[in-house]
Amino acid sequence: MKWATRAGVHIDRAACAWLIRRRIDADAEFAFVDDPSRVPADAIPFDMRGVELGHHGGDCSFETVLRRYELTDPVLWKIAEIVHEADLDDERYDAPEAPGLDVIVRGLSMTCDDERVVELTGPLFDGLYEYHRRAFLLGRPPA
Amino acid sequence: MTAAAGQWVLLSYRIPRQPSTLRITIWRKLDRLGVARLGDGLVALPADARTREQLDWIAQEIGEMGGAGTLWLASPGSLAQEQVIAEDMRRARAAEYRALIDQAQSAMRARPGERSRIAKRLQAELRRIGRRDFFPPAERDAARRAVDDLKTLVAQDAS
Repeated sequence: MKWATRAGVHIDRAACAWLIRRRIDADAEFAFVDDPSRVPADAIPFDMRGVELGHHGGDCSFETVLRRYELTDPVLWKIAEIVHEADLDDERYDAPEAPGLDVIVRGLSMTCDDERVVELTGPLFDGLYEYHRRAFLLGRPPA
Repeated sequence: MTAAAGQWVLLSYRIPRQPSTLRITIWRKLDRLGVARLGDGLVALPADARTREQLDWIAQEIGEMGGAGTLWLASPGSLAQEQVIAEDMRRARAAEYRALIDQAQSAMRARPGERSRIAKRLQAELRRIGRRDFFPPAERDAARRAVDDLKTLVAQDAS
């Protein structure tokens, strides 16, 4: 399937792209557009103003995607808290990783194009997932 | 500051009068971003990827609560106008830094346990102000020093 989002990928879009590929559509193709009117007709838009998979009721797009696709994995919801804070910084959650992740992805978006940012952040979120999966099983920070 | 006026992102909005809690939610969010208030229902921030996105989402949120919001990219008609707006924003941040300096200085006289809690809170507050500080005033460095001094004292308490 095709998916579309705004160009100039940052944390919420990078995290959504990872989530889509890992849990919703393994063959997902992504288009990055400058204007909502440029979204291809056959693509599902995300993290754009006015679309279903965007910010709603104080949630960031990553949280919206989790709700929409009924993904209840607690590890994904832990990552959602980090993405939420890195994106919105509204202190709804305690996520000390967020400022660091925000800077890392913001820096990547300065040196790489959108395809590359999505490619590079994939393993980053895989690692974040594994860390929090182990933390969840252990009930404490692993290693 | 550069010689030419910069790009700004403007949010023009209307919020339903009732319920007032929604209005207050939006006002708080705008305050948190450190917007310049240009008039009734018109706020501005220097344009960059982050500010544009932040105001865009607020515009959507206003739409979802039955109001209307449109986002504009603009540059002030003259450098002098921009400087007036920037100066207002700088003054607003300076007042926040001064309040923080006062709190840091009174915490120097607090009990050690309380001092440590206040130091953590002020460190977070310093970061929050920094996020909306687009035209840093001289008070910024003084505020950083005040928080550093407090943290030094907290470290001495602990040793």
